[in-house]
Amino acid sequence: MEHRGVFIFAEWTGERIHPVTYELLNEGRRLADLLEEPLGVIFLGPPEAEGEATDLGSYGADVVFLGLHEALASFRDDLYTELIIQILKEERPEIMLFSATSRGQALAPRVAGKMKLGLTAHCIAFEIRPEDKALVQIRPSFGENVMAKIISRTKPQMATVRPGVFSPASRQPGKKAELKSVAFPPALESALEVLSKRPRQRPETELVSAQVVVAGGRGLGNKELFDKLFELAELLEGAVGATRPVCHLGWISEDHMIGVSGHTVSPRLYLGFGISGALHHIVGLRNPGFIVAVNIDPEAPLMQKAHLAVVGDVREIIPLLIQRLKELKGSVTREER
Amino acid sequence: MQILVCLKPVPEPGTVKVDPQTHTLRREGSRLILNPPDRFALEAAVRLKESTNGRLVAVSMGPPNAKEILIEALACGADEAFLLSDRAFAGADTLATSYVLSLAAQKLGPFALIVCGKVSVDGETAQVGPELAAWLGWPSVIWVKKVSLREDKLFLTRVTDEGEEDILARPPLVITIENESYDPRPPSIKRLLWARGTEIPSLTAADLGAKEEYLGLEGSPTQVLDVFTPRHEGEREVITGEAHEVVDTLVSHLKERGLI
Repeated sequence: MEHRGVFIFAEWTGERIHPVTYELLNEGRRLADLLEEPLGVIFLGPPEAEGEATDLGSYGADVVFLGLHEALASFRDDLYTELIIQILKEERPEIMLFSATSRGQALAPRVAGKMKLGLTAHCIAFEIRPEDKALVQIRPSFGENVMAKIISRTKPQMATVRPGVFSPASRQPGKKAELKSVAFPPALESALEVLSKRPRQRPETELVSAQVVVAGGRGLGNKELFDKLFELAELLEGAVGATRPVCHLGWISEDHMIGVSGHTVSPRLYLGFGISGALHHIVGLRNPGFIVAVNIDPEAPLMQKAHLAVVGDVREIIPLLIQRLKELKGSVTREER
Repeated sequence: MQILVCLKPVPEPGTVKVDPQTHTLRREGSRLILNPPDRFALEAAVRLKESTNGRLVAVSMGPPNAKEILIEALACGADEAFLLSDRAFAGADTLATSYVLSLAAQKLGPFALIVCGKVSVDGETAQVGPELAAWLGWPSVIWVKKVSLREDKLFLTRVTDEGEEDILARPPLVITIENESYDPRPPSIKRLLWARGTEIPSLTAADLGAKEEYLGLEGSPTQVLDVFTPRHEGEREVITGEAHEVVDTLVSHLKERGLI
């Protein structure tokens, strides 16, 4: 039997449908149209989610597989996996996409492992190969500065999608999806019992919404110089970002990490100091307005990508820049008086 | 409690170069280090072993020189270590890698708990832990920041996109440890001396009874078609000169654009 359809997993956060679901719907719709196949959505959650789940049809889904049960109120990795596998075996889609969220990253590899399928993590773009309609999955490669195009030899072709990369689908009132109820097995069993949930105490880092991002890499040489970025960020009314190696050196916590498994930022101004510009970091910059790179090595990839590439020693430039900005602030304040 | 910790050898950051002609990785000359996120997994596993008077086994899949990271694991508290090494494993994607680890878990166990790091810094897929659980038919929980034994179950705190959840889990189980959630101890000198003298057996595909169809590049369902360098678009200006000059130029550029 042939495979047919593009499927996405719609995520229930416990209170609402995760916003990233609408990004998957948009890209899923595009792929389904290219293949001239239906777009299916798998939704698992508690009965009270029915209204929101049913409404996924007005965001472009052709079919919504509704699994509504009290036992699905909390996300339990093993139980959710079994239900998704059941649907995939019955429906045999061409493509199955998850978002790279805490749930998507827990589920997709479990499904892939059990069904012995290929899985590509954190994709940032997709193409359909004309000759055989294969899904070309694009993500930063293991190397430093290349993107890889990956295909799966197995079906459904599975990938997780980096949140924030695709724009969300818009609602088209009146458009409806066919609803199919998931047939539950006699018992919904799990080895996991969710005892309690606590919302995030710290607010989401200001980095994500910052208009100015001051980021540092290993080229800064030491934590002392990295710490000066906070002073710079304050003068520019921005937030401090970092590359992965810097976080592992212990100069700063991972809350500040920009990149594949860190945050995505879209500031008006991004300043990168001592950052070589590995793609794993660069993919965390989404539509940045103006990129400034400061590096002793003019050949560094970030220097190639920057609008303004400043060749020089970060040890000299950072203190001087702080001093200049302070002077400017001072003069502005005096003028205002 | 019988615990297995899976540790990945990764090239030291900055030592991997991409061949500009072939776009393949040039790994020669790159030193292998313990994947930094795995340090938190190792520490979580050692603490749980200590508090339960258990046994901790460390495994790595990799070339012979990956034994160095297993010596480190022994020095930090693992009781035994095994290297999974065979040319047939080369080119494995996450499915083929997790298959080999699942065979090791079955051969060296039985284990009640398998602990992995959250993500590797080279591949950054974060898939091997849950895939390993799938091969074994076990449940898995990712991004765990606290784990302890509560009667015959494991009490876990996991991080989610929305916050945290407390979970009671019935073993056997695979978990991945959230970065920075444990404070990794340095290797003790006494244990390091012991570790250096301890045999670290190598297990091959044959030792593990592996099926060839699931191994290495051939057994990997994902294939890299092509790699490419993203195009750089738009205007670009390079500033060079004395530090105070370039800072002045930079500041005037930012002013012109209304960015400061």
